[in-house]
Amino acid sequence: MNWIITMAVIVAYLVVVFCIGSFAGRGRDSSVKEYITANSSLGFVVLYFLMGGAIFSAFAYLGGPGWAYSKGAASFFIMGYCALGLVPWWIWGPRAARAGRKFNYVTQAQLFAGRFQSKALSAIVALISILAFIQYITLQMKGSAYVFEIASGGRIPFWAGAAIAYIVVVGYVFFGGVRAVAWTNVFQGIFMVVTAWVLGLYFAYSLYGGPANMFTLIAEKMPTHLLVGPGSKMGYVEYATAVLVSVLGFSMWPHLFMKAYTAESERTLKRTIVWYPTFAIFLVPVLFIGFAGIMQVDPEVLGAPDRILPWMFANMNFGPVAIGLVLAAALAAAMSTQDTITHAAGSIFAQDLVQALKKEPMSEAAATLWIRSSVLGFGLVSYLVAVFGGQTLVSLLLGSYGSIVQLLPLTVATFFWPRATKPGAICGVITGVTFNYLIVLKLIPKFAGIHPGLQGLLLNILVLVVVSYLTKPMDKDYVRQYVEL
Amino acid sequence: MNKGKKDDYAFVFFKEGTPPAEKRKGIFFFSLLSLIVLAQACYWLFANSVEPIILGMPFGLFTVVFLIALEFFVLLVMYTMEPKEENQTGEVR
Repeated sequence: MNWIITMAVIVAYLVVVFCIGSFAGRGRDSSVKEYITANSSLGFVVLYFLMGGAIFSAFAYLGGPGWAYSKGAASFFIMGYCALGLVPWWIWGPRAARAGRKFNYVTQAQLFAGRFQSKALSAIVALISILAFIQYITLQMKGSAYVFEIASGGRIPFWAGAAIAYIVVVGYVFFGGVRAVAWTNVFQGIFMVVTAWVLGLYFAYSLYGGPANMFTLIAEKMPTHLLVGPGSKMGYVEYATAVLVSVLGFSMWPHLFMKAYTAESERTLKRTIVWYPTFAIFLVPVLFIGFAGIMQVDPEVLGAPDRILPWMFANMNFGPVAIGLVLAAALAAAMSTQDTITHAAGSIFAQDLVQALKKEPMSEAAATLWIRSSVLGFGLVSYLVAVFGGQTLVSLLLGSYGSIVQLLPLTVATFFWPRATKPGAICGVITGVTFNYLIVLKLIPKFAGIHPGLQGLLLNILVLVVVSYLTKPMDKDYVRQYVEL
Repeated sequence: MNKGKKDDYAFVFFKEGTPPAEKRKGIFFFSLLSLIVLAQACYWLFANSVEPIILGMPFGLFTVVFLIALEFFVLLVMYTMEPKEENQTGEVR
């Protein structure tokens, strides 16, 4: 009977989130600007949680403890990149926001398409984003499916678990747009952080008498688990380049980049960046949960390391309500990322692909309808990929990271280098993305443990510079508008 | 920027008319934060050990957390040094 109570708690949580999401966007006009950017009116607290919800994903909340459990010190990388990821945004964010105000942009691809005068570039960037999004969201769906599987004691199969949470997400994103995403993230963010701290510390104290003792025991049992380098699960170069790629690429993620257009002012943007590292600190106890699991369960018994967090709670003789709350928090982590991504994917597909390829401009109402239908369509496609796809969790995300970081040279060229030309931009991006995926798909070998995204990035920059110098410069007065922002 | 007048297509790191003090500040904080990123990426060079355990965290984890705290502090200083009212090109909301 206990599992019914646990499920009731989770369902209650889903209802609350759905209500917050549906009410957030009520009474607003149905323009594109409102749906995608909330008419640039979001304040600091909302923006902070909006961005934070995106990293407090299933990757951090389920994958984080999973890494701590199975790979040890390699999991510190997650904190490093969460903390530093938004710092480069100090450079891009305010400039993107100014460009948005000046030229009426609501997405990242529109900015590039505007600077390089190319609809093809808009379509390419949209395609890269959507491919990466699908990988990313597949990850989140696996996370929520684990939650339901464990909450129901295996009664809810994978396909149903992945569907239940996602239907709620697509529902409120469809109606509420970015406001729904933002306000549900505030609720989910607070909920997750509180649960993580209470439980991470609870495990460390109740099972080991404190984190210090816990780590001493781990170090005795597995001397290399808390180290990186030879003999551990991650090499030096691998760790360093994974951090670098993540830091460079994080703010390039289209769903994060385009939030520059939602901020009410530049000070709000910068304040969000200043406070963002606190989210990484919030992750510390999440890792404790994974470390605490090392002495409790054998990897063979557990199956996938990502199940460690739900497993810990399900096997610790907690009351069904407590288990329900914890699992709901894990669900919150997955959902608060799903909503941002689904919203961004719908917006990008409609604005940067459909709109760009159409000859005549659409009316506001038609454009918003397109975005809403794209949200539904993207939801369906990524659900099918999640259920029928089936690949390993974290390495997939790193694969998509490698292609997203390829947008970095475009961004730098847009804001700082007037000489960059349209052919240079297009060739550079295509080279970088192709090279990255050739390595990820193991068609060419990985060089010296260096992250494939970083290798692609170097080629990308090279091609961008060479091709730009070989082609005719673009109109001087036009391109200088972008560097003088 | 003098160089910008000679070559309209050169790299523009600071827009025209940025005061030298602002430029120095920008370069200083850029370098400082880049150093923190490098330290974070290569933390294993100087903190790849379990002992001493500080605040319940092994030394490696403590170092990562310490670098995050340092980064937060640097960003906070940067934020307080920003001019209060921004002279933006567009409308201010």
